[in-house]
Amino acid sequence: MTQTPVIKIALTHLVAKKRQTIVAMLGVTFGIAIFIFQAGLMSGFQAYFIEETVNSTANIRIFNEAEKNRKGIISKLNDDKNHWNVVQNQKPKDEQNKIKNGYQIISILERDPRVAGVSPFLGSQAIFKVGISQIAGRVSGVDIIKENILFDVSKNMKQGDITRLETIPNGIILGDGLADLLGAKMGDNIMVTSPLGVNLDMKIVGINHSGLTEVDKSRAYINIRNAQKLLQVDGSYITDINIKLKDFALSEELAKYYHAKFGFRAIDWKEANASVFSVFKIQNLVTYLIIISILIVSGFGIFNILMMIIYEKMPDIAILKAIGYKDSDIKKIFLTESLIIGILGGLLGLVIGFIMQKIVGNIRMDIKGFVSMEYLHFNSSPGFYVFAFVFGLIATSIAGYIPARKAGKVDAIDIIRSK
Amino acid sequence: MEKIKIIETKNLNKSFHDPVEFQALKNINIEIGQGEFVAIVGSSGSGKSTLLYVLSTLDTDYTGHIYFDGDDLSLKTKNQLAEIRNEKIGFVFQFHYLLPEFTVLENVCLPAMKLARFSDAEIKEHAYQKLDLLGLRDQALKKANKLSGGQQQRVAIARALINQPKIIFGDEPTGNLDSKNSQNVFDIFKELKDNFNQSIVVVTHDMHFAERTDRIITLSDGEVV
Ligand SMILES: Nc1ncnc2c1ncn2[C@@H]1O[C@H](COP(=O)(O)OP(=O)(O)O)[C@@H](O)[C@H]1O
Ligand SMILES: [Mg+2]
Repeated sequence: MTQTPVIKIALTHLVAKKRQTIVAMLGVTFGIAIFIFQAGLMSGFQAYFIEETVNSTANIRIFNEAEKNRKGIISKLNDDKNHWNVVQNQKPKDEQNKIKNGYQIISILERDPRVAGVSPFLGSQAIFKVGISQIAGRVSGVDIIKENILFDVSKNMKQGDITRLETIPNGIILGDGLADLLGAKMGDNIMVTSPLGVNLDMKIVGINHSGLTEVDKSRAYINIRNAQKLLQVDGSYITDINIKLKDFALSEELAKYYHAKFGFRAIDWKEANASVFSVFKIQNLVTYLIIISILIVSGFGIFNILMMIIYEKMPDIAILKAIGYKDSDIKKIFLTESLIIGILGGLLGLVIGFIMQKIVGNIRMDIKGFVSMEYLHFNSSPGFYVFAFVFGLIATSIAGYIPARKAGKVDAIDIIRSK
Repeated sequence: MEKIKIIETKNLNKSFHDPVEFQALKNINIEIGQGEFVAIVGSSGSGKSTLLYVLSTLDTDYTGHIYFDGDDLSLKTKNQLAEIRNEKIGFVFQFHYLLPEFTVLENVCLPAMKLARFSDAEIKEHAYQKLDLLGLRDQALKKANKLSGGQQQRVAIARALINQPKIIFGDEPTGNLDSKNSQNVFDIFKELKDNFNQSIVVVTHDMHFAERTDRIITLSDGEVV
């Protein structure tokens, strides 16, 4: 069947108003390009950060949370609501954060078919001393072979080898930032002092770069036995069990299950990084507000040009109506015009946004902030481009709808009579 | 044999409310028969155009009844009226109202493409037939705004004819033309009536034109006299 020449009429109008059409189109182009660049940068960065964080966060972490707001012994004995118990200077009990039967739990977990790896952990604050330089940081007491299964530590080694933490009794692997701060090199001796005042002479057997700047400036890996020595605890003492699952999507579900099963606190990686995700939410909100404002401005451009065309083409509208075109046909003509502007402007915006991503993405940045990266990471997945394009089209259709409806309502006799 | 009526009005009244209450049509009862060529005349402001717009479904703000090809127009929706105009009515106005950026051929095709009863190729062929009839075949591929006033008005007539309408309405179709072109347009209408039994209603103040039609309806202050 023959199509009404809606598209042809629409194109004719736009060609007759070439310059304004191009300006309106470039408005959309600008909006979409900024979308691709800005939101692409944001979501690319976030994806990179999440990947880095998730890679260094266990799918599930089991630990023993110290009881806060502990009731005093007197309150426990004399729990009468009508009396006050006053105890001054109550101090928290020297709570043991120990996971009781930690190694038994580990061997149970290792037999769970859903689990890919389990790693015991004992952490402590520590002071590192090389010569006269002295830095406060943290030691992570680990079984490095198991830790490697979870966090791929070996991939991040700049120097040295992780197995030397096993083979050399007093070996220590420093974060690269920490090594820089201390001015320490591979093979140097280093003194580690615990909060209890225990000193250990250790030897640097590796330098590690996780990509998370804060971590690299403060963390050192040591063998879990050395950590137990620093804290003066027995060989079964561990504070955390980190778990890697075969399917990390099960994290939340299994965290609940292990909590119920073992009685200790068990959190999944999402909960562990909740604060980061909430920062992202605000970041995204701001980004999208900026983009929406740009698209509103380009929407006004489209609105403007359509109104101009409508006023100029009143006689055309009148005659089309007289020869039997319906209000909806007229509306379609002008909606088509806004869509043409939106599609052409949007496609150009995608191309320009893509080029901007490529250019900026190839400039070496060497950023050392929240995370350290050499190049900016952009989200350039096809889905993202489709999303930006659809978003732009929705904005342009909304901008085109009002003038289009007005055109549909033009009264033909008013125009014909007024000539 | 009873004559087939294309249009019949019963107690047709129309008032404008803005800027003041003003009755432009007063109790109009007329009939237009199939194949009739009728002229509506009257002094300026007597309501000729107003009557034409009401009869041709463009203006729906009236009281009384208009029967068009047997249907009561007051019962039709806006979209149904648009369909009636597309299928059964041809318009020729004082100003030709062609789409200036389109070719002559495309302008003539516009109503047929809306009707979409024939293929593009058939529509084109019909358009060429009409252009032939009006001596415009060689102008078909020119832009409409490149033609002279008289030629443009003939293109408008070709456009009015493309869907084989029941009736053609003209509001001072020669009002803007010199006497030679006016004569030409009149001859075309006459030919359409004589050869194709085309019904035609034309508003004019050219008495010389009006006298040569089948019948004259004279309006004075909104009344038929
Ligand atoms: N839109 C309108 N609003 C108010 N009055 C109108 C309008 N259109 C026409 N009129 C009035 O109606 C009367 C008839 O107008 P019209 O039909 O155009 O006259 P004609 O075509 O016979 O010259 C005139 O007095 C004119 O002023
Ligand atoms: Mg008039």
